[in-house]
Amino acid sequence: MTGPDAVFPRADALAKAVGAERYSADVTPPGCLWAGVRRAGVAHALITGLDVAAARATPGVVAVLTRRDVPGTNRQGIVHKDQPVLCGERVRHRGDPVALVLAESREALALALSRIDAAFSPLPGVFEPAAALDRDAPYVHPEHPDGNLLAYGLVEKGDAPTALADCAVTVSGEYHTPMQDHVFLELPNGTARLTPAGVLDMVVSTQAPFRDRFEIAHALGLNPWTIRVRAPYLGGGFGGKDGATVQCLLALAALNAGGRWVKMVWDREETFLAGYKRHAAVMRVTLGADADGTLRALTGSLLFDAGPYAHLSGEIMALALEHAGGPYRIPHTRLEGSCAYTNNPVGGAFRGFGVLQSSFAIERLMDALATRLGRDPAGLRLQNALGRGEPNAIGVTPEPGAGAAECLTAVLAHPAWTERAAWKRQAPPFTRRGVGVTCMQNAMGYGRGLPDAAAAKLELTKQGTFRIYNSVPDMGQGNASAFVTMAAQALHQSPEAFALIQPDTRHCLPAGSSSASRTTFTFGNALLGACRAMEAKLRARAALALLCDDPARLILSPGLVTDPATGAAVPLARLGALLPRDDRLCVDQFVMAVVENPPDTGRQFKLGFPHRFYSHGACLCAVEVDELTGRVRLGRCVVSVACGRVLSLEGVTQQVQGAAAQGIGLALFEDPALENGCMGAGDLSRYLIPTALDLPDIDCLIVADDEPTGPLGLRGMGEVGIHGPGPAIAQALFDAAGLHVTRLPVTPEDLLSALGGPE
Amino acid sequence: MIGAVYCPTSLEALWPLLADGAHVLAGGTDLLVAKRGPASCAVALLEGIGELAGISEGDGLIRLGAMASHATLARHPLVRQHLAVLALALETLGSPPIRAMGTLGGNIATASPAGDTLPALLALNARLELASAKGRRVVPLADFLLGPGRTALAAGEIIAAVVVAPPAPAALQHFEKIGRRDALAIAVASLAAVIATDAAGTVTEARLAVGSLAPTARRLPAAEAALTGQRLNRESLTRAAAAIREAVSPMTDVRASAAYRRQAAGNLLLRLTPQP
Ligand SMILES: Cc1cc2nc3c(=O)[nH]c(=O)nc-3n(C[C@H](O)[C@H](O)[C@H](O)COP(=O)(O)OP(=O)(O)OC[C@H]3O[C@@H](n4cnc5c(N)ncnc54)[C@H](O)[C@@H]3O)c2cc1C
Repeated sequence: MTGPDAVFPRADALAKAVGAERYSADVTPPGCLWAGVRRAGVAHALITGLDVAAARATPGVVAVLTRRDVPGTNRQGIVHKDQPVLCGERVRHRGDPVALVLAESREALALALSRIDAAFSPLPGVFEPAAALDRDAPYVHPEHPDGNLLAYGLVEKGDAPTALADCAVTVSGEYHTPMQDHVFLELPNGTARLTPAGVLDMVVSTQAPFRDRFEIAHALGLNPWTIRVRAPYLGGGFGGKDGATVQCLLALAALNAGGRWVKMVWDREETFLAGYKRHAAVMRVTLGADADGTLRALTGSLLFDAGPYAHLSGEIMALALEHAGGPYRIPHTRLEGSCAYTNNPVGGAFRGFGVLQSSFAIERLMDALATRLGRDPAGLRLQNALGRGEPNAIGVTPEPGAGAAECLTAVLAHPAWTERAAWKRQAPPFTRRGVGVTCMQNAMGYGRGLPDAAAAKLELTKQGTFRIYNSVPDMGQGNASAFVTMAAQALHQSPEAFALIQPDTRHCLPAGSSSASRTTFTFGNALLGACRAMEAKLRARAALALLCDDPARLILSPGLVTDPATGAAVPLARLGALLPRDDRLCVDQFVMAVVENPPDTGRQFKLGFPHRFYSHGACLCAVEVDELTGRVRLGRCVVSVACGRVLSLEGVTQQVQGAAAQGIGLALFEDPALENGCMGAGDLSRYLIPTALDLPDIDCLIVADDEPTGPLGLRGMGEVGIHGPGPAIAQALFDAAGLHVTRLPVTPEDLLSALGGPE
Repeated sequence: MIGAVYCPTSLEALWPLLADGAHVLAGGTDLLVAKRGPASCAVALLEGIGELAGISEGDGLIRLGAMASHATLARHPLVRQHLAVLALALETLGSPPIRAMGTLGGNIATASPAGDTLPALLALNARLELASAKGRRVVPLADFLLGPGRTALAAGEIIAAVVVAPPAPAALQHFEKIGRRDALAIAVASLAAVIATDAAGTVTEARLAVGSLAPTARRLPAAEAALTGQRLNRESLTRAAAAIREAVSPMTDVRASAAYRRQAAGNLLLRLTPQP
């Protein structure tokens, strides 16, 4: 372990370890009401009747609200507002809400919900995105001008069709990645109250407290400045709490609670039913190369299952297109993407935001090409890895930094690779072993067109300690702790001198969401600006106390400002006591730089396209396949990452391991079993995420890198690690069992049939 | 929802509670899940009745109290030494907290086709000691399991203990469960085997049982017959595996298809193929 970690343990570790940290779910004001929702349970239907009389008459019920009780537009959505808070005429997926109940107790709530009599007249549903785009498919939003086509985009560079025709070799494939649930530990929840002053005061497990105000205000016809949102530490988010979960329903409940606190908590099954999901995608792609393996052209189309509401589907698909060429040098590309409305669960943000889908496709194509050319897959990747200063698949030259080649080289030097032949030979009876290595990349930030901004506030307390007003929620990724580390280093103080105020729209300054691998980068830069202002201020104010006419020579040390010329010092506690509050505050802000001369492509994408900064990685997976059962065990997983300078090795390692575990889940375990809009695996006994026993040790290798514009040289890396396991496991399974994986998750059944019968 | 909770300390105190409709609660790992709905359910805890938890040996038989937890059983010397097939099954059951709370009696009474102890107990020819206000009776486990969640337990009756004659010390005891992950996984298919051989390596008695491959865990007489009198080798095991595939009646669900289960059921036996 290097220095920084020894000095700065995670700021949130102790409070979380002893159970003292208060998550949103822990907030239950005495006497609060409980709110809950009756959900459709049918995938597509007209609401023909809604009898809530029996629910209203249930003892302990305070209110039963329906569409008629929703003020405002009744439409939520981050950018595209098409999702009703409460459905009035039509339901478009099984999780759609039709009535909201407020009750004195959870028991009364459950009883009242069960007594709501909703009558539906079923409509034909559409569950396959390809079928949804047929001309005669039933429409999910009859008023939508493009039918079920929610979004379309095209990215192009050079002349791919012509280049492809000239290629010595081409490989094609159709690849499928599944819908995925976030399975965060803390379920969507919040508490809200309308104060006597007319402020809607909310505590929510949310990734975007500042933006939530606008989403709620739009949906319910409120003034956003009368809404206060607080976001304590989240027990996981992964994108699933980016965009309203409970927010609008809870706010509506609070408006009807006579000033009392109201709490809403979805249970696990409700979260599977109604929560956002990673989009299932189908990708048809073709890659062409010269006989020596030099990549020439990539073409294809990507189709995303958006479910019935837009959320950020178009933006997610845009990112998929932007990453579809992988970290490789491909002179000619032409890729189309479409998002189709369906009556499946709602697609939304999820760690890896579209990149996961197209990464799987390009990495599989690289393997297919290697097989075709008789090349080693790693060598083919090294040969084509995008170098510094080279344009990527859409013609953007990313900010220079360590790339795929360096990351791959790091993994190829690991014993899990160099000693793989021996490891494979030692396979126990009835098992076969294989090893795969693939590359990964993930852009950082919102991208062009949507300012990636944050403002930071730092306070010197009267006691001479500091308060950081964090504006971007920490959903467990450790950004809050990173902020303490940064500020402590910048101001030469011990980390114990810093208290963190978690996001609160009343006291903290506005910032974008906790998402897009941007959190530490953008807020960190703003915070370091505030720290510089604080340092200058402390010197200047101390200079008065020390009768020093050259503040620049004063030195900050833990708890003190010292004049080296005289040896005299003034304690920060004294400065804190002397200064009025306004003078104890420093603020600054930061906006992430964007691509300066964007290529003329992806014209459909107004928000968040293209991206300037990328983090990279490589992933090795070593698998053991049981010939008798088809079960796959991961023997080893090694992930390298290049993400600028490392502020906390422990923090980076935890993010890499968590991301890889989630990628392993998607590759081998998590099968939603979706049928006619219904998740067959709608609870944790059927939707299986890997347990500790299913995960190998995951080694994290740091590749030397620097991001000069990053806070202390770092770049975001919360997402990149999720992209490795799917394609690396697929490659390893080909090595072990000759299975051509085109679809995730891989099942034991796939393997058993690949291996033939028992004989 | 759990309503009234009673904690009798003797069987005499239990019987009137059961007569009044209270539900038996052992470890609660199945019952608390089943009773999550709004309806209220009175329960009588068995944990205060000391005699139900004992594990003992006598008259050449091993007696496992119904209230013994999976964790206790899995580390008990009598189980480890004589009933290895059961110990192996218990080690795959649930997770540490589930094994700490869940009991053998609960696993049997639940009578899930996937109950992990059931194939092992069937392969051990286990018998159940049932108790009620009227007295005791002993029933072979095979006769007790009637269907998914259906047993021969009469109203007001509980499982007091499981009684097993330990197999010959040299007998092969084997258990394997296919789950979709390595912990907290309901069996997709499982196989328990207790196979005795003579000095020459010829099978004198084969007891095979499967889980998750039929409405109840069940024995496989045809496959057992295919092994009896043979040496355990590739040929005999392959024949017996075919008999297993023939005998089972698996279903398709989110965990696996019937075809996969059938195939894998036979394959599980091939694990016993001697390695060069
Ligand atoms: C997360 C989780 C994972 C699980 N994993 C597995 C697994 O891998 N394999 C597996 O087989 N099971 C598994 N189970 C199911 C369960 O843990 C076992 O079946 C366990 O053995 C049940 O025992 P218990 O003592 O908890 O039963 P309880 O829940 O107390 O009772 C279950 C039923 O049996 C009745 N009952 C209990 N004891 C007696 C008795 N002595 N006489 C008469 N009736 C009785 C009860 O009235 C009730 O109807 C799992 C459960 C959970 C929640």
